Amino acid sequence: MAKKFSEIMAETGQSLEYQAGGKAPEKIVDREVQWKPHPRVQKLKDIYMNTLSSANNEFSYWYTREYFMHDNEVPVVRRAMALKTAFSHLTPVIFPGELLTMRKAAFFRGSFPMPWLSEGFYMAKEDEFYQEALKRGSASVDEHSKFGQGGGNVTKSFDKVVSIAGKFGMRQEEIPVLLELAKMWYGKSVDDLGNKYEQMVPDYEVKEAIMRNIVCMFDSGFTLPQGREVINYYYPLEYGFDGIIEMAKELKDKVAGRADGDGIIGMNRLYNYEAVILAVEGMQAWVNNYAKEARRLEAMESDAQQKKEYGDMAERLEWLVHNKPRTFIEAFQMIETLHLAVLNEDAISGMSPGRIGQILYPWYEQDIEAGRITDDEVLELLELDRVVKTSIDCFASMGVVGGVLSGNTFNTVSIGGLTKDGKSAANPLEYLVLKAAGTNAMPQSTLALLYDEKLPDDFLMLAADVIKTGSGYPAFMNNRVAQDFLMSHYGHEGMNLEDARAWAIGGCLETSGCCWKPLHLNGKEYFIPGGAGQPTSVGVHFIAQPKVLELTLFNGVDARTGEKVFEPHNSKLESFEELFEQYKKYWQKTVDVLDLCNNIQHDIWRKNNMAVINSFMKPDCLDTGHLINEKGYRYNATFNVENSGNITWVNSMAALKKLVYDDKEVSLEEMKKAMKDNFGFKSARDIGSFSLMDQEKKDDSGNKYDELHFKCLQAPKYGNDDPYVDSILEDWENFFCRDCWTYESLYGEPLYACQISVSTHGAMGAATIASADGRLDGTTFADASMSAYPGTDKNGPYAVMKSATVWDHSLSQNSQLNLKLHPSSIKGEEGSRKLVDMTRAYMRMGGFHVQYNVVDSKVLKDAQRNPQNYRDLMVRVAGFTQYWVEIGKQVQDELIARTEYEGI
Amino acid sequence: MSDEKYVHKDCRNYAPIDVRKGFCHVHKKEVPADTEVCAKFERIAKCRYCKNFCADKEKIELGVCEASMSKPKFVAYPDMVAVTCEMYKET
Repeated sequence: MAKKFSEIMAETGQSLEYQAGGKAPEKIVDREVQWKPHPRVQKLKDIYMNTLSSANNEFSYWYTREYFMHDNEVPVVRRAMALKTAFSHLTPVIFPGELLTMRKAAFFRGSFPMPWLSEGFYMAKEDEFYQEALKRGSASVDEHSKFGQGGGNVTKSFDKVVSIAGKFGMRQEEIPVLLELAKMWYGKSVDDLGNKYEQMVPDYEVKEAIMRNIVCMFDSGFTLPQGREVINYYYPLEYGFDGIIEMAKELKDKVAGRADGDGIIGMNRLYNYEAVILAVEGMQAWVNNYAKEARRLEAMESDAQQKKEYGDMAERLEWLVHNKPRTFIEAFQMIETLHLAVLNEDAISGMSPGRIGQILYPWYEQDIEAGRITDDEVLELLELDRVVKTSIDCFASMGVVGGVLSGNTFNTVSIGGLTKDGKSAANPLEYLVLKAAGTNAMPQSTLALLYDEKLPDDFLMLAADVIKTGSGYPAFMNNRVAQDFLMSHYGHEGMNLEDARAWAIGGCLETSGCCWKPLHLNGKEYFIPGGAGQPTSVGVHFIAQPKVLELTLFNGVDARTGEKVFEPHNSKLESFEELFEQYKKYWQKTVDVLDLCNNIQHDIWRKNNMAVINSFMKPDCLDTGHLINEKGYRYNATFNVENSGNITWVNSMAALKKLVYDDKEVSLEEMKKAMKDNFGFKSARDIGSFSLMDQEKKDDSGNKYDELHFKCLQAPKYGNDDPYVDSILEDWENFFCRDCWTYESLYGEPLYACQISVSTHGAMGAATIASADGRLDGTTFADASMSAYPGTDKNGPYAVMKSATVWDHSLSQNSQLNLKLHPSSIKGEEGSRKLVDMTRAYMRMGGFHVQYNVVDSKVLKDAQRNPQNYRDLMVRVAGFTQYWVEIGKQVQDELIARTEYEGI
Repeated sequence: MSDEKYVHKDCRNYAPIDVRKGFCHVHKKEVPADTEVCAKFERIAKCRYCKNFCADKEKIELGVCEASMSKPKFVAYPDMVAVTCEMYKET
């Protein structure tokens, strides 16, 4: 019987599924806190749980039809005309029990393709799809029943439903038009046009080799051109839709025909304001169609309560078509509408609502004071919002939606932090936002708690309770570290302490620039925060550090595919310093060529596909008359460089330093040979599994590599407060973060480091051969950027935190540390106190982010065996919470393998 | 109209939950998209029921919209819901 990797780890004194600080009870321990949502919410949640991710072509159709009618129109106006027509024709769909309504497409969980961005990933399957469309299958109960294992993912076609990208279901009668529309965009999409011009970059072939060999995960320009940012709801909340149109018309009069000293883009303001008017008119028509549908349902409804609810909904929507909101529920409906509108404008993952507890507070305060609403009713609305947000899908390719995002859309809500004048921002509504995340625990909106020493203790203790529901949120982000980052990076664009305090998380844990705006309600002024920066989903995403190290060791050749990626360096790598220097050169080459190509993709995007809706909502576009593409946003230096496999790389460098250079126990050539031979293990591809647990030795490998593999696994590992290895991390971070500043975005701004892994540690690990730390070919990297590799953190969580904070986290947009805790380790009030104290300690050390998975690993294993029993089990992956059944097996295995802390 | 066999997703009272099923606002329950309708059926506006839709004889599930301003007339597909289409003319 071939030995498993887990057995070999155990022989070295390490263990996949390592239990630190004690031993878990034999019996499965459930999560300590289990709250329930309001019955109305539960009913809608039940629908969600049985809903398939569905797509249609309604928006795509009307957008394309209108767009191609306007050849030679000014691009921004042409785009706005297409948006207006598309929004005006969306079919309204309302379900009973809803108080907050509207949706992306005409399904409970709907989305649609945007061939103007990229059509290639489904055009490539044209023949296959067409054949599916020709089929006229009959219902099959057996096939239906398979879908339980994937949650809402349509992983394969069935009956009259065609699976696209292994995720979305589309009716087969819509496939012909899907392909017809895609053909119209062939050669014209951002993807195609961008590719035409990026080929003019001298090192384009290197870029292609980088992408083919999965040194980098994806092109950001046409996959997700916007996102990982904070939306801004201010203008519609302050002025209403009619007010914005009136404002834009007045401004048009002021700028028509005037350059006002800007001979390059001064004249564009006229067209931009015209585009804003068209886009807002489209949104008004969309809201009005929902109002009409609510009236129709009211007329046919027999149940008195439901009839009244439809009527009230219609009245709210009819008001909001033109006016600013008057009440809490109207304000909530307004931000829901705006959020969905922006998500329909572009392929976006990570459009975060920001600090809704601050934004909605004016209406909350006044409605509560006037007796118009109760806290319980507010809680119910907040729970309903979580159903709406979790139902949001983003239609993109499998590599992006699956490999990077695990299907998540990152509509993160931030709580805590400080007010404009530096006081704790945790108001009574924020307590309810936090509570609702526990009473209706769903993946969206994930919560980010902006930790500051000024936050009240009971707020943090409530956060601990919510974490104990097993939701994986709130994650804690360090307010002070974020402010330092924002002021240093955006200082040249005018970021000051006041604006820095308005920040929120965009996406999963991207520190995003925001600002305060004065909102007026019944004669009272409130300052509300909102996004003021461009997307941070843009730039160079993600580069696998272990892969770049592999290329360094193998002289520019990918050891998995045998393809040359870089010109050979021909260095003998005779010292650790030489190795490190050569690694840095390849790293810089990777970033440079990707930056140039991505700049071109994004430039094509901004010329033809610029944001109009998201733009007019962001300060200071309406004031200046310039949209995102003309740097109308207050903060534009948002492009970044994202890494993956940080700690796997650190551990690998430590093993090479120790075994090859310091102790000289093995030559570099022997190490490379062992890595290439996968330490005598079968290839992950051969055994058909990339999971840590499944790796097994070759039957005929003997003991050739056992001793070396043992030493590699025993070499110093990150996460144990060991300066030998932590100093490598420190040196790397000091280089990496500063190096990012030397590259320039298309907006002429410096880049910066973004250190999250999302799900790329699984997908990119799958394309990387064994590494010197003992990790095997094809298996996942360590998750996040500050998490230890499973089973290697032997000295407890405080040692991990000390290792993580050897460098200044404010040099980077973020860092990411995930810890897995057994429920019994934080049981009761005393356990909550320990959790809060441990978090506080990490924040005081200068850590930026920590999040906790509170789960018994035995539950995860049982869920893997019996997924049908765990449809609602949620886990924290890396910056986001997701349903267990909707994530891939390799990441599931990595989650099971993470060190489980039995005591803290 | 009476000769045609309708399924739930052709009904005005059907709110699509996903590609497989929807909610019937009359009977207040989930119904499969592709099963036969009841006596309360009310046909929803779709391109296939519109006078402006001209089916393509060669391509399945495609046609053109005669009301489109494009030259040549823009493509249309019969199963598209048209409740928001200002050019819709019931056959």
